[in-house]
Amino acid sequence: MKSSETQASAMAPVDNRAQRAERSPPSRGGDRVTAGIRAAINHVDLNRFRFWFQLVAFVLFVYGGYLAIDLGSRLPFFSCGYNQEGRAGVCYLLPLQHQLSRPWPMLFTAASLSILSGLGIFFLWFIVLNKGWCGFVCPLGTLQDWLTALRRRLGIRYANYTRGQFAQLTKVKYILLALTILIPLGIGGGLWSHDMSPPFCLICPARMILPAFTGDFSQFTIDFSSKTSIVMTTLGMMVTALFIAGGFIKKRFFCFLCPMSALHYLFSKLALFRLKKDGDKCTRCGDCYRVCDLEIKEIADEVNKPNIMTDDCTLCLKCVAACPEDGALKATFAGIPIFESTEAGFIRRMR
Amino acid sequence: MNTPTPIEEQPAFQRTRQAREAELTLDHITDDFDGNPAGMQYFYELFRRTYIKGEPVAHEGKLIGTTCIQVPDELIYAVGATPVRLCNGSYHYDQIGADFMPAKSCSLVKATLGMLHSETRIPKTAKPDLVVNPTTCDQKKKASAMIEDMGYAVYDLEMPNTKESEEARIYWQRSVRLFAHKLRGVTGKRLTRKALKAAMARTARAQAAFRRLHGFRKASPAVVLGKDVFLVTNAFFFDDIDRWTEAVEKLNTELAQRQADGFHAAQRKAPRILFTGSPPVFPNLKLPVLIEEAGGVVVADETCSANRMLYDMTAVDEWLLYDMVDGLADRYLKPCTCPIFTRNDDRRRRLLDLAADFAVDGVVYQSLAGCQVYEMEQKSVAETLNAQGIPMLYIETDYSPDDQGQLSTRIEAFLESIKTRKRKVAA
Amino acid sequence: MPRLGLCAALLMAVLSIDGYCQEAPARKPDGNEGGRPSDAQIAKWRARRPADEVAAKPTPGAATADAPNADSIRGGGRPGGRVMTAKHGSNVLWLSDSPPSRGNGKSRWGGMGGMGGMAMGGGARRGPPVKRLWLRAGIDPQKSGFARDDAKAETEILLVTPQGKPEGEPLSAAEHHKLSFEMPVQGYYRLYLTKRKLKDDTLAVSVAKAEVAYFSHGGDEEERNEAATAPRALDSAPIEIVREKKPDEKMFFRLTSGDEQVFIVLRKGVPVANARVRFVSHAGWVKEAVSDDQGRVSFQIVRDYFPAWNEFEKRFKAAYLVIAETDAVESGRFNDQPYRSVRYQATLSGSYYPSPSDYRSYAWGLGIGFAFLIFCGTAIYLYRRRRVKPFAEVRFDEKQ
Repeated sequence: MKSSETQASAMAPVDNRAQRAERSPPSRGGDRVTAGIRAAINHVDLNRFRFWFQLVAFVLFVYGGYLAIDLGSRLPFFSCGYNQEGRAGVCYLLPLQHQLSRPWPMLFTAASLSILSGLGIFFLWFIVLNKGWCGFVCPLGTLQDWLTALRRRLGIRYANYTRGQFAQLTKVKYILLALTILIPLGIGGGLWSHDMSPPFCLICPARMILPAFTGDFSQFTIDFSSKTSIVMTTLGMMVTALFIAGGFIKKRFFCFLCPMSALHYLFSKLALFRLKKDGDKCTRCGDCYRVCDLEIKEIADEVNKPNIMTDDCTLCLKCVAACPEDGALKATFAGIPIFESTEAGFIRRMR
Repeated sequence: MNTPTPIEEQPAFQRTRQAREAELTLDHITDDFDGNPAGMQYFYELFRRTYIKGEPVAHEGKLIGTTCIQVPDELIYAVGATPVRLCNGSYHYDQIGADFMPAKSCSLVKATLGMLHSETRIPKTAKPDLVVNPTTCDQKKKASAMIEDMGYAVYDLEMPNTKESEEARIYWQRSVRLFAHKLRGVTGKRLTRKALKAAMARTARAQAAFRRLHGFRKASPAVVLGKDVFLVTNAFFFDDIDRWTEAVEKLNTELAQRQADGFHAAQRKAPRILFTGSPPVFPNLKLPVLIEEAGGVVVADETCSANRMLYDMTAVDEWLLYDMVDGLADRYLKPCTCPIFTRNDDRRRRLLDLAADFAVDGVVYQSLAGCQVYEMEQKSVAETLNAQGIPMLYIETDYSPDDQGQLSTRIEAFLESIKTRKRKVAA
Repeated sequence: MPRLGLCAALLMAVLSIDGYCQEAPARKPDGNEGGRPSDAQIAKWRARRPADEVAAKPTPGAATADAPNADSIRGGGRPGGRVMTAKHGSNVLWLSDSPPSRGNGKSRWGGMGGMGGMAMGGGARRGPPVKRLWLRAGIDPQKSGFARDDAKAETEILLVTPQGKPEGEPLSAAEHHKLSFEMPVQGYYRLYLTKRKLKDDTLAVSVAKAEVAYFSHGGDEEERNEAATAPRALDSAPIEIVREKKPDEKMFFRLTSGDEQVFIVLRKGVPVANARVRFVSHAGWVKEAVSDDQGRVSFQIVRDYFPAWNEFEKRFKAAYLVIAETDAVESGRFNDQPYRSVRYQATLSGSYYPSPSDYRSYAWGLGIGFAFLIFCGTAIYLYRRRRVKPFAEVRFDEKQ
């Protein structure tokens, strides 16, 4: 039965009863085991799972270097390269900025194939978890979640953005990404001094904070060796302070402004791990929007598109865990649903 | 708590038309249908005691009367008070309330006013310490002042007329927060985290039990009739929540067994009907009962005396008061499909979703005469449903029992046409 | 593995650029700026400052009697304070990785410190990097000129590669003020230039040593680890200075001002006690010390880079020079001539950089950080408090 809309409203309901019957075929007795496993996953206490996952990932990437673990320098999250002793790999933005800041004669030769190969490896890392790297692995994201937990313990209310502020601030990450790419190119062309390279790393809070976890506090200094260094390191300290204050009062404050997030989103269409929504099952109750750290309203309101991961999303899957409708939201890997919203799971979690 | 009194000592109202009206409906529900679930006995008894024998309904703490489902019950429970839904379905009160309202106006509000005006209120609760009246439809809004004149303390819970905008959401969150403060003034108890969490757990349990019951209605052929489900949800208005939840859970267990056994509560080919529109409030279960008498089965509904009251569940991110109260506010506003809002996209989507999930054959849209908002939405809902090929029967009625014959004819015709269509499709 | 090639190519590119910038020794200003001063000039200088010159040249046999003054004892205070200019001490031969500077102390891109070289690298694989060294004479690390060829001396050049096998004479003796060699593997490359000359009945043996560390980020790790722990002394060297590595010293080590550096004086692999060791800093400050029983002597690297504030370069590469001298009573024949004592002289040069604490301030950093944090916190608190206030009163402005 084709739906013919009489109203031009974008939110007009769509019926697909026939399609729905095809989509969920009756389960046979044979896949009782898979049903059992699936139920176990869908009923999991997501917050606890995430806490432990993030902790393990944090220890791995902040201290893994001591165990000589090296996962390369194209990682799609902030495993800071300045954490020289403990890092188990380097965040891609650092080598990217270094590569882009090569002198132009060198940059426009075949020597720069390494930029493309670097991007390729980054892409291969990225498509595994899509933006889930942000929500489950990134050490900076984990730190923000810990700050949030601290605030929660103290009973301090979190901050919200108004919709207007949201719309404005969400563009900042693209601006930062553009600067992260353009400034090194300018440095390579001789426009600015090398003291400004790598520009984003100099202002990134991870540079200050993550090495501190291995006892290296040398990044907490202002570098007076040149005017550029003074400005950049001062900005860095201010951004770190803002990160701590902001991360304390707003859930995942920095993730909203993160250029790595913008870089992710450029490739997210091709990723394997996705957040899908079945708009028909949605009652627009807004529970997903309620729990979303990034305050993304599209999860609740979008009922036509199946792919609802926006550029702000960190794929933390809290929305999936907070949805009381069976199958309305699901996280899929290569099309296979991994974690689905279920009524029973919701009831168990919201106790 | 209440020992049944012998009939000689029963008060005079017992033999009034009001009691007889309720008795008629209840007897009809219990006796004229086969295969009533054993778990429904609790509810039948409850209604018999409350509506027919007029026994008092007990409550804990202060009694807060509510006139709409948008009032957050959890806040009331959290301060140790008890909520009671005042919406009334009695024709007797409807006639009393007609003094206060224009001729063609909502019977439900008339009945509520009539009840509040009477000396003996059935269900026999104590006098509410506060009547909370959300500013939803026009009739209820204007009734606010009238209720106050009747000698009740009334609190207007300010509800926005739109729900898409951020301003509306913030406005409603503030209303709810103010309401919580108001409750503190009424009960003298401050809202604490622990109390609110416990209250939310109670309602969550009730909602979960309802969802399970709701889920059983998807079964084809039906394992439970709509008349019973309406009774169950109507009982939620005034019954003790924990007792109610237990009874529903028992009913669910029985229905699970029925489903396993392959029990049919209705005929195999009975047309499955989605009931929407103005809420059927006991004893005015006229239309659902008529439908099921005529051979249909009401498998789903979108009314505020059943589905809408209990379906949506609250999600909370941080179990601290600011988030819990705002979460409650969001749950009571955002998914609400009441026609008092400017747009009804969510209602139409929900109707289609229910129609699909419950394999519905037809929709019966009831609007009480004088209910402006439901009457106005009829057109858009009809268009949406017809576009999907779902037949809809629109019935405008009120509480008077006089039109039963005419309605029954129309319903039978509707069900016939559905059956014919199904046969044609099958062929 | 391709990274090795890329990094090697880059290194070579850097060095060639480096060399290109530093080429043209002919453009030296005349006067006492290194190179070959004319005899007339030498006479003129000698006439002007006889005393210093005498003091500059250590007399044979006087080395051991040279009582070290208090402040040159190891671990003690300030540098010696005797500034030597190029012409003096011109008998000190040493190997440098840079030609004489033009006097402006221009800094060069100081190698692969810190984060450099992470993902760099050109495209095509070129050969292994080549290191070029210059043999210079004189005690001033900046201005000493190229060493003159000495027909009377016997020169032997030895290159020790990280694999440890000394290779003899890979370099042409003719133009030996410019020496270069390839660095195919990672590790420490050591070049020993031994010059023997007979003066009266004393044999002067001077060994100019250069130790070049070649490690690359993308290279073979095993090779790197092996090289890092390989012995760095040559058993056949008549005298040599070895820079002692601290046990926790990292591979890409940079000496900075303020560090304490220990040098060991060895003769044929055996520590030499009581050798007179001089440490010359980039600006020419000299500190003297005497090696102890284990041949060890420690110097604290001075800070002698005092540019104007806005000309400060944190990667300024300063050169130091360590000279060790000792005399021994040995007799033998050299070129059919007898000798009764031997004067040994060993040199080693290296680089040091400004210490980060010279330009990095924790106080400012943490101060700014905390100040801004408190500012943000206060702003948030005040904003929240203001929101709880009732709505502002509506008033009319009476002004017409």
